[in-house]
Amino acid sequence: MPALATPGDVERFELANGLEVCWVRNRQAPIVTTVLVYRVGARDELPAESGAAHFLEHMMFKGAALYGPGEIDRRTQSLGGSNNAFTSHDLTAYYFSFSADRWPEALAIERDRMIALALDADEVDSERQVILEELAMYRDEPWDALELDVQAALFAGHPYARPVLGDEASLAGIDRAALAAFHRRFYGPANALLVVAGDLGAEARSRVESAFGDLPAATAARPVVAAPAALVEARRLERRHGEISRLLWALPAPPAEHPDHAPLRLLTTILGGGRTSRLHRAFVDVGQLCLQASCSLAEAELAAHVACSMELLPGTEAAEVEARLDAELAALRDLAVGDEELERSKQILVADWVFQQERIHQQAITAALALAQGDLEQPERVVARALECDAGELLRVARRYLDPDRGSVRGLSLPEEA
Amino acid sequence: MKVRLRRSEGAPIVAVRLLFSGGARVESHPGQALLAGRLLTEGTLRRGWEQIAADAEGRGAILTSFGGYEAHGLAIDALAADWERALDWAAELAFESTFPEDRLRWLARQAAAELESQADQADLVTARAFAEQLYAPHPRGRALQGDAASLATLDSARCREFHESARRWGLTLSVAGVFPEEAVAQRIGELFPGRSESGIFETPAGEMPTPPAPAAAPSPRVELFTRAEDQAHLFLGARTVSRGHPDYTALELAAVLLGTGSGLTGRIPQRIREREGLAYAATADTVAGAGLDEGRLSCYVGTAPETLDQAESAVRDELVRFVSEPIPAEEFESARSYLVGREPFRRETARQWADLMAVSALYELPLDDPAERLESLEGITAEAVEAAVRRWIDPERLLVTRGLPTSRASSLRRGSATR
Repeated sequence: MPALATPGDVERFELANGLEVCWVRNRQAPIVTTVLVYRVGARDELPAESGAAHFLEHMMFKGAALYGPGEIDRRTQSLGGSNNAFTSHDLTAYYFSFSADRWPEALAIERDRMIALALDADEVDSERQVILEELAMYRDEPWDALELDVQAALFAGHPYARPVLGDEASLAGIDRAALAAFHRRFYGPANALLVVAGDLGAEARSRVESAFGDLPAATAARPVVAAPAALVEARRLERRHGEISRLLWALPAPPAEHPDHAPLRLLTTILGGGRTSRLHRAFVDVGQLCLQASCSLAEAELAAHVACSMELLPGTEAAEVEARLDAELAALRDLAVGDEELERSKQILVADWVFQQERIHQQAITAALALAQGDLEQPERVVARALECDAGELLRVARRYLDPDRGSVRGLSLPEEA
Repeated sequence: MKVRLRRSEGAPIVAVRLLFSGGARVESHPGQALLAGRLLTEGTLRRGWEQIAADAEGRGAILTSFGGYEAHGLAIDALAADWERALDWAAELAFESTFPEDRLRWLARQAAAELESQADQADLVTARAFAEQLYAPHPRGRALQGDAASLATLDSARCREFHESARRWGLTLSVAGVFPEEAVAQRIGELFPGRSESGIFETPAGEMPTPPAPAAAPSPRVELFTRAEDQAHLFLGARTVSRGHPDYTALELAAVLLGTGSGLTGRIPQRIREREGLAYAATADTVAGAGLDEGRLSCYVGTAPETLDQAESAVRDELVRFVSEPIPAEEFESARSYLVGREPFRRETARQWADLMAVSALYELPLDDPAERLESLEGITAEAVEAAVRRWIDPERLLVTRGLPTSRASSLRRGSATR
């Protein structure tokens, strides 16, 4: 098996104002990706300001002192680069990819919008409409809508239950002043980390110091949010949409630093990793009940969950699929995984890791997400630990976490009733 | 058989692509190319589908077979140490597939279910109707799956026959990644010579058919009701040029100006999203889907039903301005610089190289040659782009498809061509 190490030479340092910096030096292509992460996401919002973190992410492209409205995209384009951003419950991340001789522009842009965001009131109003359309788009997409409902039920009472985009009512209440306050509170060097990956020259460090070194730390401490309470009941929800049945089961799982997380990663590979996986065989290629069946381990900073999803063939009864899924999970709790299946799943896990690290952009994002959780080596450690698991450990972990009756959300999107 | 090899540095991966020059554009029965491609991993003279999957996944490899509009074939991504296995699998699947009837029936059921699944997604339904409006009766105007009726009447003999024919219409093998070049070339020489000329099921290949031309006078306006609850979807455009057309690069640059550039720089997202706040998704391309057949100008907006007319009007305004006003020099240079700057990103990984080399051979264009590409971009002028835009975009003759949420049917139904 190939080495699991992150590609490239990694180096970390911290500026006096608290900005964490990480290099991933890798000359596989003349490309550099920067990722600036702010440790703020939907979990840090008050219920009334639900959607503010994501709203602010949009506004970060709408003008600051040096780069006016639209200028970030225009400048990125003229340099042949690309940019984007995303917001989760735990963080907000902004990234640029440029050819290796042009990447420092990303630092100038990030500095500008960190310290001098404009937040023009008309732009705020216009962007609110854009986000309302984004909400409508997700509501119409059957899997997105089901996922939002399941997430709300899985983490009921916890900030993870709130939609990252907010809702119509909360968005109506988020104005320029609210966004400015949010920006002041969270968007400073002490609450940020920067990953720069790719074909970096020796001058990279001085460029970062010159872009951010003179900024004051200036951010308040992030509010402490407790981990979600363990779900100890089986919840079931149904929604109606379209003509096809879709099923999404979520079972609570421990976060990445927990010793049981890695075995669960291997168990989700056994359940849903490829055509030979148990769910694919039971529901697709052999059982022929579903168009697709998958299983993954969805990770957030404070919690994780196992997600099994199935799209049913027309004419298949949801109850039959539910019963079979129950049986598949029971089989994992009752019988040890055989040697051949275990080895194949480990091989898939290793190869997935290698494939996921192929692009510099992916390397930068992986490093940034890991660092945001305070542990750069965590992703490869989880894979390495999964490779050490034996059948006995998998049996123990399956019994603890893969029992829907001990805590789960069964979400179904069923055809519209005639 | 065309063979393209490239050793690249980076992750320890080898990517193998094997394309047969027969896709849905030349199939005689809708869905035939898709299922012929998918059947390649369903059984060979040596192994059944379960063993094929187990052998690949037991090595961590991703083995995919597919059928597209222009070709069907195989994609294998494996760890570098398995380069020889990957080549052996490619040869076996290409030349020894048995096209089992029971697997064909299952794949046909799956494909029919895919059509049902897509029908639940309003943007896809509207996009499909737009493609039909632009291309029908050309196969680009229908789903790769065909339809439920055509899938029900396909059998494995037809799929095998199609594969056998396509093998002789043209075969391309591309291999990229971390591998010993001489050994790879030698193994290819052992596995492939002459095999495109013979097979287990002899069928005269004949000439590659010519697909039917799109209708000369398609319906200019289509409205349909979707299963959406909230959003309406708008497509507006026209057919443009194929990948090999002399205007392609000029229109590619025009596409950046309209919407395929960085972030929201294009004129369509600028107007629809940034200036008027009408949509989250507002995109535009002038050569969408261009390949052996014509691509298309495709402007898309997902918006509230109440603002659909405003969005359509704004897109039309922008297209009128686009064809009637000179392109400002700064905007033009930014678009060109964008395409130049994106080049390293198109060639970063083994998988990208393998894909690029395969389509380069399929289109008989030097798409895998960075120098040629840069020269082509540097040679384009704003005047050439303006002329190409005027040739291919006529704001008076745009085709429009609008998908409206069924929940609003009573308040939105109007007199135009509705189905």
